[in-house]
Amino acid sequence: MIIAIPLLAAFLTPLIGRISGKARNIFVITSLAFVGFLVIILARDIFLNGLHVYTLGAAEPIPAGYMVPVRIMLEVDSLSIFMGIITATISLIAVIYSFSFMKGETGHNRFYTLLLLLVAGMFGMEFTGDMFNLFVFLEIASISGAALVAFRIRFADSPEGGFKYIVVSAISALMVLFAIGLFYAQYNLLNIGALAQAMQYTMLDKMALAILIAAFAIKLGTVPMHMWLPDTYSVAPASITAMLLAASQASMYALFRICFTLYGVTLNLATVGWIVIVLGLFSMFIGVTMALRQTDLKRLIAYNCVCESGFILLGLGVGLAVLGNPGALATYGTMAISGGIFHMINHALFEGLLFLVAGAIFYRIGTRNLNEMGGLGHLMKFTSILFLLGALASSGIPPFNGFASKILIYESVYQFNPILAIIGILVSIITLAVFMKAFFSAFTGPVLPKYKDVREVPKSMMIGMATLAVIIVLFGLFPGLVREWLTDPAANALINQGAYIEGVMGVVP
Amino acid sequence: MLIGQSGFAFWNPIVWVIAFIVVMAIAFFFRSRGQKKYKKDTAQTKIFLSGEEVPEAEERHVRADNVYWGFFETLKGYYSVILRPHTGIINDYIIWFIAVIAVIAIIIFIAGVV
Repeated sequence: MIIAIPLLAAFLTPLIGRISGKARNIFVITSLAFVGFLVIILARDIFLNGLHVYTLGAAEPIPAGYMVPVRIMLEVDSLSIFMGIITATISLIAVIYSFSFMKGETGHNRFYTLLLLLVAGMFGMEFTGDMFNLFVFLEIASISGAALVAFRIRFADSPEGGFKYIVVSAISALMVLFAIGLFYAQYNLLNIGALAQAMQYTMLDKMALAILIAAFAIKLGTVPMHMWLPDTYSVAPASITAMLLAASQASMYALFRICFTLYGVTLNLATVGWIVIVLGLFSMFIGVTMALRQTDLKRLIAYNCVCESGFILLGLGVGLAVLGNPGALATYGTMAISGGIFHMINHALFEGLLFLVAGAIFYRIGTRNLNEMGGLGHLMKFTSILFLLGALASSGIPPFNGFASKILIYESVYQFNPILAIIGILVSIITLAVFMKAFFSAFTGPVLPKYKDVREVPKSMMIGMATLAVIIVLFGLFPGLVREWLTDPAANALINQGAYIEGVMGVVP
Repeated sequence: MLIGQSGFAFWNPIVWVIAFIVVMAIAFFFRSRGQKKYKKDTAQTKIFLSGEEVPEAEERHVRADNVYWGFFETLKGYYSVILRPHTGIINDYIIWFIAVIAVIAIIIFIAGVV
């Protein structure tokens, strides 16, 4: 239902939109709110009763007379539903924000149809238990995402951004399909659990792993494959940029599902863990130093996204490197994974907020160029406070959520290798410098005469931004609850490869 | 409340918020004791720039391009290297993708199975 409702709503939206724009808006928001409600119910159920397996058109994953699963299957554990919560939250807020933000544009029916398709694609990637359907949902999310990036065709750079997004997405999806072909040729299987059980770590499996790591890493903008990300994120409508951020996290989920669950203990854990760590370090350092140089506000935030993705890769990479060492895993590995997962939701929240604020500024003054801004804090007090809040959270300043997840990463990574933690802290300090530059340039100083009539953005945009800000503060004030209910179960689900396989195959390897 | 498993870290955001509020209250107390008897919209509240004429608002604000100028000047070498691959051309982006696949594959092939 969580995947089917947005998919069905996507096709009904243009029909309802023909009757009334207001009815369409109510329909879209109601659909996503209902999906969010279903996600919460499912999350509670998974927390209490463990993972859920849903086989399309059958009661059992493996039909009578078969040794392996052959049907399309959804497998939702604590990590999948954690990702579902991110998608549901960000998409709902993005839609609320879009009501005002997209008012001046045409083609609203197409916009909301594509947005709902993107949501369906993201949920599908997170909930599928099948490699081929992972590819299908990746394609759905990529095509709708590219169309949304290029949606405001009146801006010259929007189609270019959309083109770059679709080329990168199509080539990475093609490589994913190629890797799936390598699995199918060897094992006659597509189901993740069944493949994990059958995995022999052959030469072809190693090739597939290299392809899959690179294919999903490019989708989340890992250095040195990050160049498309600022080009795309900076030109998309602000609400869509927040959605693309959540979509990149779905790719990150796929990357870790493959490393931890599909390959798991058959993997050369230290090597692959270090590959992920090194990609993370490059992303952190190059992302933040590039962000510092930007004068386009959205490009600055986009480069910061590259940097924050690096923190997640660092935490989960350390967890992956010590996955085969029970002592280290118990001492700090699980905490590193939990910290990385915690940072995933925090990243979506504070970067989402920063993109929405950048969108609010663009909505009022029509530019993203920091050189042309100044004194907006006098005119857009609420927006400036929200920007500061998002910036402090992103820089890991207490008591906001970014600090809560970063301290977990620092502390656990320090025990693995102190130099990595020191680099992390240095990068956080530079992140603060990045946002102080942006805040100083945009919001402080005297009111510029050309902006003297600027006022706050409409209510629906305010509600969208404020909701994210409230969640950021709550996650920062009560990190223990977030760990207990969300990130620790998700980390355990990622570590426990046997439980995922058992969900489909019924036996622990 | 978050307590790190190493035993070296402790973090309680509620304690931090209470401490922050106390420090802010003290700061505001001292601020409230300051001079209030000044005349608004006179020379007392106008910008003083060593007797020079104060520029217009648009010219007074330091632009983003000029922020951290010294930092960028010092790291000119680093930035010239790092900016080179950011060509904006999609073909180059895909070449990086292929190169990364090749590098990861070589590392995994060499590392073998544990």
